[in-house]
Order: sequence, then structure tokens, then C-alpha cells
Amino acid sequence: MADIVITAASVVAPQDVGRFRFGIRFGRLDPFCQLGLVAVEALGIDFSTQPRSEVAICVATNAGSLSTDVQYWQSRNEPGGVSPTLFVYTLPSTVIGEIAIRHGLTGPDLCLIGGSAELLDEAADLLRRNEAAVCLAVYCDVVSSSAAETIRLRAEARACAAYLQRGGSGGYTLTKNDRDMISLCARLCSLREKDHHHGRVGCRA
Amino acid sequence: MEITIAACGAVTAVGETVDELLTAVRANTSGLRPCGRFIDPVYQSNVLGATATGTDGDDPAFFLADRALREARAQANSILGKLPSNRIALVLSTTKANIEALERLTDARPCSPTARRHLQGQLLAIDLAAAHGAAGPVQCVSVACISGLVAIEQGAKLLQRGAADAVLVVGVDCLSAFVVTGFSALKALDPIGCRPFDRDRCGLSPGEAGAALVLTRGKGETAVCGWGGSNDANHLTGPSRDGASLALAIRRALTVAELEPRDIDYVNAHGTGTQYNDAMESLALRAVFGDACPPVSAAKGMLGHTMGAAGIVETIICVLAARQRLIPGTPRLSSPADGAPEQLLKEPRTSVNVRHILKLGTGFGGVNGALVLRHG
Repeated sequence: MADIVITAASVVAPQDVGRFRFGIRFGRLDPFCQLGLVAVEALGIDFSTQPRSEVAICVATNAGSLSTDVQYWQSRNEPGGVSPTLFVYTLPSTVIGEIAIRHGLTGPDLCLIGGSAELLDEAADLLRRNEAAVCLAVYCDVVSSSAAETIRLRAEARACAAYLQRGGSGGYTLTKNDRDMISLCARLCSLREKDHHHGRVGCRA
Repeated sequence: MEITIAACGAVTAVGETVDELLTAVRANTSGLRPCGRFIDPVYQSNVLGATATGTDGDDPAFFLADRALREARAQANSILGKLPSNRIALVLSTTKANIEALERLTDARPCSPTARRHLQGQLLAIDLAAAHGAAGPVQCVSVACISGLVAIEQGAKLLQRGAADAVLVVGVDCLSAFVVTGFSALKALDPIGCRPFDRDRCGLSPGEAGAALVLTRGKGETAVCGWGGSNDANHLTGPSRDGASLALAIRRALTVAELEPRDIDYVNAHGTGTQYNDAMESLALRAVFGDACPPVSAAKGMLGHTMGAAGIVETIICVLAARQRLIPGTPRLSSPADGAPEQLLKEPRTSVNVRHILKLGTGFGGVNGALVLRHG
């Protein structure tokens, strides 16, 4: 079975959004998509170095678009009714579209609702099947205070991303024990932070 | 390794069982009709694919999915009954889970804790698994309107990896004010009901359904033998204009299935009835099949766009078609649009040999999916 390596990882929070430059469209995205995009940006990957049709995007999210759902549905009583733009962001997989558009990635996609436990397994399986050459794995959760109150979830916002490839000369080799992507990305970034190679946001594994 | 579709269940706008779905496929009837729950002027259309009983109560998503799973499990009793529960997995496909609960919570209407819990797709999946004796892996897939195709793919992969010996794949989405209001705001609804690939098509018709499959390893009548995905990387709501990415997904699915385009006997299109989707899909089919495109039809004029259930219920139609030696028609299609596939079928064609079937899907976020089935 081919080794799968992580060559870049990131962990981001809402305060990291301002560290990166995006186009004018970025301000129109919902916070969930913004944070997912920032997690990918923090990887510092140059996507021009490989065929973009061979880059898969796998996303996992626990709360998905619930915060945007609440915002969208509460807006129906406003003059003009609901925002059609916001409606598009009531799908948890919209973040995949935003990442794909920004980087021109036309590979296969997967979005799992739930914890991050299965995400690395599924991303690695996709690579072992040669369904893509590399995989962007992104875990993202944004629960606004309004959504937290309505749905009774804990308010939070966090995201992490990992860049996975088959075998190779560098990077961190994924093991069977690496089930939880959030803690793995945090561990990889923390190691690099101690080495003073990079800041808190993003690291090369 | 062969992955077999051992059983099916479906609750749709044309009936409460797979047998009723087959009757509608044979008769080429449409389940789209004016729906009394959506008469407010805020809705662009109330011609929708509503089930007869699926929207009562505060937890219609669980209700519809549960009904479909009961039907599928009853057919697969001889297989499932021999397995320990921890060898049975469940994969749920949904775009909005029990969105009814959000409407109730924000309107201060009664909403049970269970209904609120099912706002989260993974919790709905866990509760469906518990109710149906699936103690193996549980996944909830949500990739817009290709969710159902991806859920079948995920189920097949779980079996191939040995993570389970049977997988219950279930798709569900319900008609809700939330969704119909959103599509109305996008001006995406056809006022008289969707007309896939029609010259005068002007939008989609949301529908609701619960649909379930039981997947197992080994030889069977109908197998899942290929899948492929891609992204347009172009626009969140509008499909690419050239169909190149959907064609890429089709080619990937054919590669996994080890087939050539000439091997495909029938294409069940996504066919939403929107101007751009159907035009793009026609171009993708031309790119893959050239002048030799096999017969094509679409089911959304019968069931509406059932979102997270669409890929699964339309795959069930493909299974029925192969077993009954027929190719379904395209309900509500009147005059095919310029550029539509040459062999677009308005009416079902009977007594044909259907061995390899291609099922397509596309969705918001630029996602494309293709699934290949083999019969016999």
C-alpha cells in the first residue's frame, strides 16, 4: 500500500483572515467559506506546479453551513426578502467551489458532515486509488453566536488544512494512528513553530 | 471487486414504494403538481414534486429516509439478517437534512429535541443507522446535488476496503419553505413545472424523496462498477459553458469501470430543466460520445429535483430500467431543444437490452459526478 505524506499543514482562526490577500469577491463570502479559503491559503501551495485536474478537494465539517442557514432564514423578513447570494452559501460544500474557483482545481470532490476523523482516511484512499495525484483536505467549522443560540451548539470558528500526496522524498508520512486531522495539523504546525521556521499560521510538514 | 445493488427503497412524488416508481416510469407520468403549502406569492412556482405523506410533523427528513430504508431492508433481509450489526455501514446523502427544524425554531413553533438534532446531517445519519441495525461505519455526504452519486461511491469504497459487508446508502431531502424560497429568489423555478432538455425549459422544480439502496460485495444482478468526479472551477451556481469538466467526470467513471464510451447503452442525465445545465450536459455528452451518443433521458420531470436524494432515486430508476429491459422516457419533455442529445427519449422504449448505464449529476459549487452501473 502506497505511503501517503503530508507536505503542508495549516491551522487558522478568524483573526488570521486579514493576513492574506484575496480579491474583492472575498468580502461577499460567508464566514465559513472565508475561513476554509484562508486555511488553504495558509498552506502556501503553488498550484501551478501540477495538473489542476489532478487535485482533489476533501472537506469535513461538523456544523456545515448552519450559521449561514440561520442568517439566511432570519433575513426573509427583511425588505426584499432573502438574499439569493446567501442562499448559495447554505450548502456546506460551497466552500469546495470557492477553493476550486480560486485555484482552478478541477479534480474530484468530497464533503463529509461530521467530525474530522474520517477525512484523512478518505483523502488517503482517494490517492491510493489514483483518483487524484494530490488532495487538499480541509476541516472547517464556523458556528456564529446566533446559530449557537438557535441550534444549541457551541459557538466556535476554526479550520485546518493539509496537502496530501502519494509517497515522495519529504513530508510527514501518515500512519494508521493519525485519525484526527485537527490535532495532527496542530501538532505539525507546533513542531515547525518550535523550530522558528514559520509562524503559527501554516507550515511545511 | 464487484459491488452489487441488492435492494432498493423509494418514497417519491409518484408513490410510496419502488413498485409505484416503476409504474410511473413505465407510464412516463409526472408527479409534479401544485402544492398547497407553497401558495404564498414569495414562491415563484408551487408546481413541485411533493410526496403524499412525507412532510407531516417536525422531522420529515427522518420520516422519509426511514420509510425508504424499511423497504430496502425488507428486500435484503436474507443478506442483512446473516451479518453482525457492526459489519453493516450506513452512508447518508443529504443537502439540508431536517431543515424543517430550523424553520420551526426561528418561527417559535413546536420542535422536538430529536427534530432539532436532525438539523445536523451526521446526527441524522447516526440515528438512522441505530434505527436500522447498522453499527458499522456511518458517514454523511453532502456535495450539493451530486451527493447521492458520491454516497453510492462512498458505500462502494467502504465495501472494497473491507470496512463493512453491507452498506445502507440512503438519500433524503424534503420540500421546505427554506429551499423553495431560495430557488425563487434565484428565479430558478419553472412556473409550470420543469421540462428537462425542452426547447422552452426555464427552470427546475424542487421535489422531495427518501431513497435507499443496500450495497454488498459479490456477484449480483446490478453492479456499481465505476465513478468519477470533477469540478468546473468556474462559477458557484452556473455550470461551465463547454461541459468539459462533466466530460472529465464521465471519462474518469468509464476508466474506473474499464469501459469505452461505445459500451454505454443508456445515459440517465441530471437534466434539471434549467437553460444552462441541460445545454452544458448536452455538450459534455457530445464531447464523450461524439455522434454515437446512446439513448438519454431524465427523471426530474417525474420527481422534481430531489437534491440529496436525486442521485440515489435516479440510480434506482436505472436499476429498474435494466431489470425490466426498458429505457425510461423524459416526462414533461415536449420539443427537444436545439443541441439536445440526438437520442433523447420522450417516451420509454421497451424490450431493449440495457447492460451498461451511465448516471450523471451536477451541482452548485461546480461539482460534477458520474456513476456507471452494469446489469447482468
